[in-house]
Amino acid sequence: MKKTKFNIIYGITHIFTYHPWLKLISFILAVIVWLYIKEEMFILQ
Amino acid sequence: MNLADLLIHWKVIVEILILWTVIYQVMLFFEGTRAIQVVRGIALILVAFFLFQKLGLDRLDWLFRNFFATSIIALLIIFHPELRQGLARLGQKNIFVNAMDEEELDKMLKEISRAAESLSGYKIGALIAIEKNDSLCGYVESGVLIDAKVSSELIQAIFTPNNPLHDGGLIIQRGRLISAGALFPLVQRFDIDRIFGTRHRAALGLSEETDAVIIVVSEERQDISLVYQGRLYNNLSHEDLFLKAKELIRIRK
Repeated sequence: MKKTKFNIIYGITHIFTYHPWLKLISFILAVIVWLYIKEEMFILQ
Repeated sequence: MNLADLLIHWKVIVEILILWTVIYQVMLFFEGTRAIQVVRGIALILVAFFLFQKLGLDRLDWLFRNFFATSIIALLIIFHPELRQGLARLGQKNIFVNAMDEEELDKMLKEISRAAESLSGYKIGALIAIEKNDSLCGYVESGVLIDAKVSSELIQAIFTPNNPLHDGGLIIQRGRLISAGALFPLVQRFDIDRIFGTRHRAALGLSEETDAVIIVVSEERQDISLVYQGRLYNNLSHEDLFLKAKELIRIRK
């Protein structure tokens, strides 16, 4: 039987179509958290 | 440090990517549950907190810092059940969907659709859960182990009234009928239409805790429904059921 192959086009479209807002919001949050930690570490030093 | 330096610094990119993945997975985990409202609230508070710091609004910054620290304890208590489920689910992922043949999946879904159509025609209720990435092993144990090939006739036989296994849910794992008469958690939401009975509530309950694709046949309304991640797709024909179930099973997190 033929095995299902990983479809690269599906993979790319999936990135933009599956919860795009959730991805965008989590990215913004990740940047904010990173900047906050960086600042806190700078203060501690 | 300017933007060009930041981009060159690969460690920064790796750190942000890891943070992004973790935050996205947390938000994805809570999507479709009542806890998502709180996660959104926390996200908003974090953005406000960051802005207050950047704008130098010290009093507001102090207020948020103290308020946030205490509210974390409250959140841990309020969302204790969701957090416990989340921790229990860690490490239970499996690769069933990606490892399954397209042909095998089609065959399995055709058998299920055929069974659902027949059962709805005979006004017999049914509840079938197809395992995806989240393990259903905990629910398998609450039913009776079968471990049989998926066939329309067997599904119909299981749900025939007066059969000792007809009450409860049927679980399909790795393309096989694993357990019948399994007990699923009932949904805790109050915004569900009164026309939906315990079977639909159990399907919604399971869909909020796992990523299983759940098929419900209503015995009163002869309606075929599909439940996934807290969403209910009802009034489906057997062709619609086949196509929608295939689409939902193929969705990857």
